[in-house]
Amino acid sequence: MTIAEGLIAIGVALAIGLSTIGVGIGQGLAAAKALEGMARQPEMKGQLQSVMILAMGFMEALAIYGLVIAFMLIAKIG
Amino acid sequence: MSEFIREYIAPTKTVYSMWVIMAVILLFCFIATRNMKDKPGVLQNIAEMIVSSLLNFFSGVLGEKKVRHYFPMLASFFVLIIVCNYTGLLPGAGEGDEALFTVPTSVLAVTAAMAVISFVTVQSAGIKKHGLGKYLLTFFKPFVFLFPILILEQFTRPLSMALRLYGNIHGEELATETLFGLFPIGLPLVMNVLSLLFCFIQAMVFTMLLAVFINEATEDEE
Repeated sequence: MTIAEGLIAIGVALAIGLSTIGVGIGQGLAAAKALEGMARQPEMKGQLQSVMILAMGFMEALAIYGLVIAFMLIAKIG
Repeated sequence: MSEFIREYIAPTKTVYSMWVIMAVILLFCFIATRNMKDKPGVLQNIAEMIVSSLLNFFSGVLGEKKVRHYFPMLASFFVLIIVCNYTGLLPGAGEGDEALFTVPTSVLAVTAAMAVISFVTVQSAGIKKHGLGKYLLTFFKPFVFLFPILILEQFTRPLSMALRLYGNIHGEELATETLFGLFPIGLPLVMNVLSLLFCFIQAMVFTMLLAVFINEATEDEE
């Protein structure tokens, strides 16, 4: 493995690692608030759940961008 | 010429997998609805349960009236995506040449095609509801300078939809394969149980986003 390939490998790790940190925090906050809301108003459970999943889907996309970049970089190492 | 065909037109493993999945779904639908009775049999009962729970789910987003119009498309998207995702749990799924078949939704081309269909659906729903001029006018509200951003948003939505589905399923396949490589007995099972949940959620997110976008495009103006 050349130095360039090693650097790409580090880049892959950074891409997926950093993009996961932010999304992890964001999804945790969303789930916490949604749970709080559900505990306060159990009758809103269904609605809150679907909105929460939707919001998480949006956040998930950000991690997926990192993942896609990681895939592309890994393909360069070959 | 033949090289061109082999390279670009000849069906790949993904296409074959998709055909098999389509055949399975069609066969199920055909058998389940062949002779429908008032007192449903097992298969008809399952089919009815799927349809009614999906109808319930989508009417929560779209409202009782609009859901009737867009339900066939949303529901077929849901069923197709979830069956495609769950094929990843069958033995023989994978990427390489030695794999028996490919999970269709773990290929970017398939999810991109789905996203293009959803894009066309959302735009045509908006145009059908408002008329072309009025639909274009909705991009200038509430604020004229938002126009480029709102237009850009329309195009990034299908992009993120395609990437989300592809990234999730592909990543899941890759993680399962990596775990299999680490320790083949038992360890991949952990990931498989997780993917039982994730596959369902991804199908749900895709169709729910589509329903939300349709709802937004066909909103009544105040």
